[in-house]
Amino acid sequence: MNKAIISILGQDRPGIIAAVSDLILRQDGNIENVSQTILQSEFSAIFIVTLPESLALEQLRAALQAGLAPLEQHVHVKPVHPGPPIYVPSPDREPFVITTRGPDRKGLVARITAVMARYGVNVTNLQAVFKGGEAPGDNVMIYEVDIPATIDQKQLRNDLRVEADALDLDISIQHRHIFEALNRI
Amino acid sequence: MLHPREILSTIDMLRHEHLDVRTVTLGINLFDCARQDPVRACAAIRRKILDKSRHLVAVCDEVGDKYGIPVVNKRIAVSPIAAVAAPLDADGMRRVAQTLDEAAEASRVDFIGGFSALVEKGIAAGDAALMEALPRALAETGRVCASVNVASTRAGINVDAVLRMAEIIKAAAALTADADGLACAKLCVFANIPQDVPFMAGAYLGVGEPDAVINVGVSGPGVVKSAVDRAVAANPGLDLGRLSELIKQTAYKVTRVGELIGREVAERLGLRFGVVDLSLAPTPNVGDSVGEIFQSLGLVSIGVPGSTAALALLNDAVKKGGAFASCNVGGLSGAFIPVSEDLNIAEAAQRGDLGLEKLEAMTSVCSVGLDMVALPGDTSVETLAGIIADEMAIGVINKKTTACRLIPVPGKAAGDYARFGGLLGESVILPVNHAAGPNAFIRRGGLIPAPIQSLVN
Repeated sequence: MNKAIISILGQDRPGIIAAVSDLILRQDGNIENVSQTILQSEFSAIFIVTLPESLALEQLRAALQAGLAPLEQHVHVKPVHPGPPIYVPSPDREPFVITTRGPDRKGLVARITAVMARYGVNVTNLQAVFKGGEAPGDNVMIYEVDIPATIDQKQLRNDLRVEADALDLDISIQHRHIFEALNRI
Repeated sequence: MLHPREILSTIDMLRHEHLDVRTVTLGINLFDCARQDPVRACAAIRRKILDKSRHLVAVCDEVGDKYGIPVVNKRIAVSPIAAVAAPLDADGMRRVAQTLDEAAEASRVDFIGGFSALVEKGIAAGDAALMEALPRALAETGRVCASVNVASTRAGINVDAVLRMAEIIKAAAALTADADGLACAKLCVFANIPQDVPFMAGAYLGVGEPDAVINVGVSGPGVVKSAVDRAVAANPGLDLGRLSELIKQTAYKVTRVGELIGREVAERLGLRFGVVDLSLAPTPNVGDSVGEIFQSLGLVSIGVPGSTAALALLNDAVKKGGAFASCNVGGLSGAFIPVSEDLNIAEAAQRGDLGLEKLEAMTSVCSVGLDMVALPGDTSVETLAGIIADEMAIGVINKKTTACRLIPVPGKAAGDYARFGGLLGESVILPVNHAAGPNAFIRRGGLIPAPIQSLVN
């Protein structure tokens, strides 16, 4: 079996997932994972599928592209890396949530994530909304991250705060468990 | 994946609604420090407290940082000193108080509780010595908190002890006359004192507790008020059942914070986790007030007719939410109405919306009692004792904790202002009916018997 990852991008409308999954089924493919979201009015989805050995990826891509043309979706297909993953998260990592609020400007994501990258902090989920303007509540970044236990957490926190201050951002760096404890039974 | 709403609402509670861990209180059993000789007793007490509390403040700060939740106060509660130091005289007891004060300072905690006696059925030699030492011990130390349990549902009310406590309160006030009787703010008289309260001034470590234990007090009146305000803004027709449900859910969330922090602090210190006490404990800041919740619920002010019902609703909803959130709920768990410590309640007293009698009625449904109530300096011992006895009766008959923290402010009269400073706040002095008069009933002394447990009407 071959494994492939498919991404679909385009204007949101009803029927996209139905069309994609039907096209995969017609190629005798099996869906393993799907993640789908809508940003503003744009649809985006990624699928990991297993495919028969006999099916060339190009054939799948062509079929998807042709089938999705009426829905005006962009298709990208690539093989899933077969060997072990190139990044293996440290077993001693702690899940944190880093949240910022503040006036909108260019470079907020770039500069905050640059600090994280320097420390080997891995972003596992990012949700950000920038409606523009100065109202802090309108411009929010929420990073769910894994922080390796081996790094100097105090220094990381400090560097993040310095960067946030320079950007006029109000930053919170909290262990994920606090949100689960408060909000979930 | 967390929902952004879960994250942002949590951050709002912390940033704008004063959600915090009000206190992590380390309970330390001191019974193994009992010695005949005061010097050796004090040395043993100091050694044990310093040993157990060495990492308390640092660990609390680390855990607070990790979750982004401030642990505002770190405190220590010890076994009742009247029993630990029973062989000592009043002088020896004062030395123990000094030792507790020094140990608290060395441990970097702001208060240490447990300069306490349990005398609901009688006063033993150690109890008498501690009570004799109380006024000076409280006046001479900054961090020591004292409590005396004078009544219980199983034993009744020890009116001799009530009278003695009234004298002690007057003496303690006189010794700190230049600070509006501040020593009295560190002294609680209890009925049915819980053995695991983390909140001061009533914290002590009861008999039957572990050698060392972490108890946590969480607060959050601002969180409850904001939740009520938001819900009422969205639906002005909300009825009281729905509001109670909302307060219950909010109390659940706040309790979970305490449980999370408490368990982790205990684990890092290698100690048992005891209880989380969710008590809406106000500070003299706007937005951190229990009185404001009454206004959000629709009352003009705390103290007006309807206030007792509102407090009953609030207290019960808080307990229900807390009990569901954690199987380790203990302490007082409810709503505090300390007059001077709550800006809004102090203002209600100033306006005349809230008087001593209404306060007393409300304490029959709140989680503590007549708390931080400033009274005229000329209030007689007998009148003070009468107020205390009434409050104890409410606790004893209703099988609940009640307490008095009364301050007869020396040289000041009803309508004057008393200022205690910091978290203890300030308040108008409430008028007392028959303040300076005699009271032959209380002077009779003796024990008011334990109440019958059937024929409940």
